[in-house]
Amino acid sequence: MIRYRGAWTVGTRVVLVLVLLAVALVPAFFSTYFTGAVALKVLWLGLAAASLTFLSGQGGMVSLAQTALFGVGGYITARLMVFEAMSPWLAALIGVGAATAAGLVVGSIASGSRVIYFLMITLAFAVVAYLFFSQVSTFGGHTGINGVFAPAPLDNPTLKPTAVYYVCLACCVVAYLLLRYVGRTPFGLALQAVRDEPARANALGFDVRLHRTLAFALAAAIAGVAGVLATWQTTRISPGTIDVTRTIELLVVAVIGGLYRLEGAWLGAFVYVLLDTYLRGLSGRFETWIGIAFVAIVLLSPGGLAGLLARIDEEVRRPERKRRRRRRRRRAPRLGSALRRTG
Amino acid sequence: MSGARGGARAGGAVATRLASLTNPRAGLRQQVSASLAIAAALAAVLWVLYKAFGEGLGSSGNAPQFIVVCLNGLSLAGLYFITASGFTLIFGLMRVVNMAHGSFYLLGAYVGLGFVEDGVPWLVAVVLAGLVVGAVGLVIQQVFLRWNQGQELRQALITIGLSIILGDQMVAHFDPTPQTIPPPSGLTGSVSLGLYGIDYPSFRLFVIGGAALIGLLLWLLIQRTRFGIVVRAGVDNGAMASALGVNVQLVFAAAFFLGSALAGLAGVFGGTVLSVAPGQDDKFLLSSLIVVIIGGMGSLAGAALGALALGLVEQLASVYLPEGYTNYSILLTFILLIVVLAVRPTGIFGRPE
Amino acid sequence: MSSEASMLEVDGLSAFYGEARVLDEISFTLHEGSAAIVGRNGMGKTTLCRAIMGITPPDSEGSVLLDGRELGGEPSYVICSAGIGYVPQGRELFPSLTTDEHLRMIGGRLVARGRWDVDAVYGLFPQLARRRRLSGAQLSGGEQQMLAIGRALLTNPRLLLMDEPSEGLAPAIVDELLETCHRLRDEGIGLLVVEQNLGVAGRLADRLLVMVSGRIEHDTHAAELLEDEEAQRRYLGVESMATGEGA
Repeated sequence: MIRYRGAWTVGTRVVLVLVLLAVALVPAFFSTYFTGAVALKVLWLGLAAASLTFLSGQGGMVSLAQTALFGVGGYITARLMVFEAMSPWLAALIGVGAATAAGLVVGSIASGSRVIYFLMITLAFAVVAYLFFSQVSTFGGHTGINGVFAPAPLDNPTLKPTAVYYVCLACCVVAYLLLRYVGRTPFGLALQAVRDEPARANALGFDVRLHRTLAFALAAAIAGVAGVLATWQTTRISPGTIDVTRTIELLVVAVIGGLYRLEGAWLGAFVYVLLDTYLRGLSGRFETWIGIAFVAIVLLSPGGLAGLLARIDEEVRRPERKRRRRRRRRRAPRLGSALRRTG
Repeated sequence: MSGARGGARAGGAVATRLASLTNPRAGLRQQVSASLAIAAALAAVLWVLYKAFGEGLGSSGNAPQFIVVCLNGLSLAGLYFITASGFTLIFGLMRVVNMAHGSFYLLGAYVGLGFVEDGVPWLVAVVLAGLVVGAVGLVIQQVFLRWNQGQELRQALITIGLSIILGDQMVAHFDPTPQTIPPPSGLTGSVSLGLYGIDYPSFRLFVIGGAALIGLLLWLLIQRTRFGIVVRAGVDNGAMASALGVNVQLVFAAAFFLGSALAGLAGVFGGTVLSVAPGQDDKFLLSSLIVVIIGGMGSLAGAALGALALGLVEQLASVYLPEGYTNYSILLTFILLIVVLAVRPTGIFGRPE
Repeated sequence: MSSEASMLEVDGLSAFYGEARVLDEISFTLHEGSAAIVGRNGMGKTTLCRAIMGITPPDSEGSVLLDGRELGGEPSYVICSAGIGYVPQGRELFPSLTTDEHLRMIGGRLVARGRWDVDAVYGLFPQLARRRRLSGAQLSGGEQQMLAIGRALLTNPRLLLMDEPSEGLAPAIVDELLETCHRLRDEGIGLLVVEQNLGVAGRLADRLLVMVSGRIEHDTHAAELLEDEEAQRRYLGVESMATGEGA
């Protein structure tokens, strides 16, 4: 498994800053439609995917519940705003809080399970959430909730998306920096230990379940924020936003971008939204092509596009390192601890 | 596949688990969650019994409805069992989570529908559909899964991708409007149960019987044939089975064929009882996952138990939840899941890893 | 002795757990009869067995020839078919199978090609016949070892590869085990035994190969090593033969 890279090189930092600049200038250079419907979607979809990538990269847990948690955030906010006439910011806060709480609950249930069971349990939760929101009348049943208008300072997202765009961008930047920072705190390092060697981490006194649950709750909060932003942008939320297709779609986005690098989340969202917006009409079989691309990436480049870019970067800058590693294997030391394990 | 021996072991395990409730050294979390779970389960059972028989056993009471609901639950359980047995065989032996298993179910339904529409008798169509889906599964296993044995997550992701492709291709090549497969001519009507004057659809009874028969045949296969011995040994310790001359690749291929064929078979049954439509693949994948989580990986008895639990809970909940809460029946499925995970994280007949 | 007559020839066998090299270009040749591999804990003896049998982990490279046939890189069932019967450390019985099922599991082709069939195994180990319906976990330590040997015998092997067969067994049972092994050896089955217990190793085989840190450091006659306390100390650590450390 590819180790989640924490180190930033100067080159990477420069690239990221340039990308950020480019993204920030989008409203200035692109049409209202592009900014409001395409670029904005890339931002919140990437944010939701980042919650998945954080869990898989740092925590070794591939979660299919992120879309549902995204839905919890969006639905609670929408309900409070439309039916309780609550202030959008307060509603958003409660929505994100609800998503975090749900994350704590689901996380604590699933945290004891191996990777594959974790995948299955989170999928089960996702479907249950979908069915819940589609059948319970409080949340509008099959039609969902409409008329969710972003807070006044943010204007109308369809006609003048710039304000919402920058709020979204700010959230994404904050989330990105926060998740990277968490990766370097003692909690983050412990989480990676739990990811790599759960039994050993347990033996060293780390509460494996607690770490996983907390990480899951953090990811849930981020997914909740994405849900709120998405609901504001589209002004509605419905069960169709969080059905199985969307759940898998988020996984596809994260995998295409790369499950082990946080940047991959937005990269994958960018590629996916572009394909979806401009290519879906071309072929009746868009889903098949996406499926093929997905399988191809899992087979050929499990690190996704971000992983590919990273590998190209490595190849270009450090060919020496590969040659050195090949030589090391020839004269590998006979490590005592490995032997004692085998007898 | 543990079968009956697993049953005895699980009985002991449950007893031990119950005993641990009174053991002061058992983790507090385990004790609390297990106690809550058992209390909740008991309360639910009592509630259902009250609703069903509270007004007496006469036909003016709710007993007839209870019987019908139970039979509905059993027929649903039958579908879940046939599907999940294939899933758990593949999962238990090869540690492959085949997320395309639901797609196989739907493919079986469409193929069976096609055969029946072409005039093939239902019983022949169901076997043919099973064979076709089995073959598709075998090809997929050989091309995509044979060479990455042990990389569970990767295989799960690959099968998710395949399910996306299969799902879309089925929409492209088959009529996506919901349809039903006509049942065989002898089973189109209802039959009298001899109790309370209830008439119950005979095909649903056939599903219950069919599932029981398939379960019995699978049990015989696993417990009484050499293939079954080899499969059980492979589930226990694949490396050692290979070291004893077992061509594990061949066994894997055969098991994948069988598991996929079971999904296809279930699809034809389900397509007759419920419907043939896009979306059924997700429903039956999910139910297989839940059944296996409840019943334990690689256990046939676990699949039966899990299917029964799921089918009955779904049906009973949709009828017996207090008024106004029937929409929450889905939550009960999830709660069932949580209860099992709290008391026995690897499933009722599962083995701790 | 010419290599044409060799039964087992291991040449340049190395094994890795990840990047850690555990076996370092092991080479030795076995002609007819038996040999024992001795060494302290952690020297790579079990890894050697797994590498010969083609079980991964570890990853291995190098050559293993059985009667001249190259087995390196082949899957385990091919190696078993070629004629190596494996009795692993800790027996590794199948929890889901009964005693009888353990024996019935072996493929018909393997059973039919030699003199060992299920009845013959029950004849060799009458105790097992009395326990045929019990699961492996319900057998005593000695019976488990018998079962492990019995199922390997059913593959009608040319060479039996046994890893720590005396581990966890009472001395009386070990004596029975040794008797069985002698009988098998007399019938012409080769024996390659890994043993920590120098005394048992000496009674099982004439030839002792001493493994230290993934290499064969010493290849000698049992009698010689058993008398040479200095060599014992050097290659095997401070335990004396009389109190050879059990597992």
